[in-house]
Amino acid sequence: MRLSLALDPAPVGTTPAAPYAKIARRRRPLASRVPAALRHLVLILATVVFFGPFVWMALVSLKSAPEALAIPPTFLPTEWRWENYTRLFEIAPFGRFYLNTVVVAGLSTLGQVATSLMAGYAFARLKFRGRNIIFVILLAALMVPFEIVFTPLISMLSSFGWINTYQGLIVPNIPSILGVFLFRQFFSNFPSEIEDASRIDGANVWQRFRLIMAPMAVPMIGSFAILSFVYNWNNFFFQLIAVNRTDMFTVQLGLTFLQDQEGASNFNLLMAGSTLAVIPVIIVFLLFQNQIVKAISGGLR
Amino acid sequence: MSSTRKVALPAALRTSVRMRSNRDVRGNDWQVRRSMHEKEDRAGYALVAPTTILLSVFYLFPLAQTVVFSFTNWSPTDGRELQFQGLDNFIGLFNPTNGFVAALGNTALIAAIVVPGSMLLGLIFAALLDGPVRGRAFYRTMIFAPYIAPVVGSGLIFSYLLTPLGGLVNAALRPLGFPPVPFLTTEPWAIIAIIMFVIWQQVGYTMIIYAAALATIPPSYHEAAKLDGAGVVRRFFSISLPLVTPISGFLVITGLINTMQIFTQVYVLTGGGPVGSTKTVVFWIYEQGFTFFNGGAATAASVVLLLIGIVITVLQLKLLSSRDATEMV
Repeated sequence: MRLSLALDPAPVGTTPAAPYAKIARRRRPLASRVPAALRHLVLILATVVFFGPFVWMALVSLKSAPEALAIPPTFLPTEWRWENYTRLFEIAPFGRFYLNTVVVAGLSTLGQVATSLMAGYAFARLKFRGRNIIFVILLAALMVPFEIVFTPLISMLSSFGWINTYQGLIVPNIPSILGVFLFRQFFSNFPSEIEDASRIDGANVWQRFRLIMAPMAVPMIGSFAILSFVYNWNNFFFQLIAVNRTDMFTVQLGLTFLQDQEGASNFNLLMAGSTLAVIPVIIVFLLFQNQIVKAISGGLR
Repeated sequence: MSSTRKVALPAALRTSVRMRSNRDVRGNDWQVRRSMHEKEDRAGYALVAPTTILLSVFYLFPLAQTVVFSFTNWSPTDGRELQFQGLDNFIGLFNPTNGFVAALGNTALIAAIVVPGSMLLGLIFAALLDGPVRGRAFYRTMIFAPYIAPVVGSGLIFSYLLTPLGGLVNAALRPLGFPPVPFLTTEPWAIIAIIMFVIWQQVGYTMIIYAAALATIPPSYHEAAKLDGAGVVRRFFSISLPLVTPISGFLVITGLINTMQIFTQVYVLTGGGPVGSTKTVVFWIYEQGFTFFNGGAATAASVVLLLIGIVITVLQLKLLSSRDATEMV
């Protein structure tokens, strides 16, 4: 098992790797390697299709406007127009958009992590009357997409005077049912001995939660925080209806604003804006992809 | 039901069951335990309160309003008195001139292609990346990236790739003798473009879920089949595929619920055009609510969407309660 892990994928139909597998591998006829080559061909093609557009975006963002529309298209910019980015900040307050997004995504994430951690712990570890009923209500709410409730929600926010405010953008975002589920799952799978020991030592519920259980959940908190930040950074639909003043725009709203303003003629600037919107997420993703993937695939366990 | 069963229990067993419940245990121990439970009660409520209260105010209450308003002449802007209108809003939805039926059809079409399409591609990539493949993490990252990227940003990228002027897709089709196609502004290309875009976004997710499912299959199954002479294709169809079937059920349900909510993709790529051919249900609701301020129609359509969601959810619960699903998930 270990041996084969260190090698290339075993091609179809070859006998399992014997000792001296390395030598044996070199002697294998070329034909038996085709499946691996085919596999890589498909995967490289997939890489181009799935990630290529982002590379293209970054390249076009550095071209001049006429070059961006040239037929046939050039691959690398003939002259690198870094000033596209400074122009972007001149025609739209992208700095302000960034600040808004950081504030909204950051505080929403903080709120989602804190409330989900608390509720997840309570649902997994505490027995209180009505627990199951409350949990079933949450479960039902998970099945109802936000897109169904937004019309009355916005008129409610407007009656609070919360349209175009940070609290309007943040507070309704905070309850995260997915977060509650992830933390409930995490705490349910956690062995109960440690908590029982501290219970015998006289720790009350709050002490157990604050001093023992929450610190144990730090890896899970990290995963969920990253996932939640990416989600909040990318959020668009709710922001589109909760904001109509340019100075409260987030990056995503700023992009559609740019799209309306620049239309199809200045694709180089649109791609520069897209790059600014996409880059933070791609960086977070590259740094934390294991946590993100674990949190996403863990959501169904 | 339960009372008849109680009577049927033998007397001895009945007392032993009753003895075990707290209520019948008397003495000091009971008092202590009781007070501990009350403390846990309070802490439990305090811990679930933020989520529950916020959810009730910003989610469940508007949901109830949606249902109530759908039977009235409600408008999100003017403060006129609500008038009960019975099923008028719902009947109005199915008037073909207002485009709701078409939006429903578009959403169904998108779901019908996106859900199986993204699952199939996701499964293929998960299978290709199952086991020790050189560059596995790299490929996985590349394929997963669209799922995590902001929809507005990647939507703009797609709209650029698809323009007749400078767009890569048209540039690639030119040598093959195709005239430039304005994909996003002509039928039926616009909805095809939306479908391709959503599949492109979703494949990373289905791949990750399938990869997790494939990883749970014990390697010994494959080894045994290999010894019996089964090739990689045969092993995939006879071992891997049947064992990931419950996950496929899960993906169908989540995929359907996700496509029900498609909005941003349409908003950025086509704005619902040409001639409404890419309007989805949520796009239609958004337009009614925030362009025409027609709250009654918007909420009635939301209720229809809710009912569809409930049907899908019931299917999901049925699926989850089946034996295989609970073992796998």
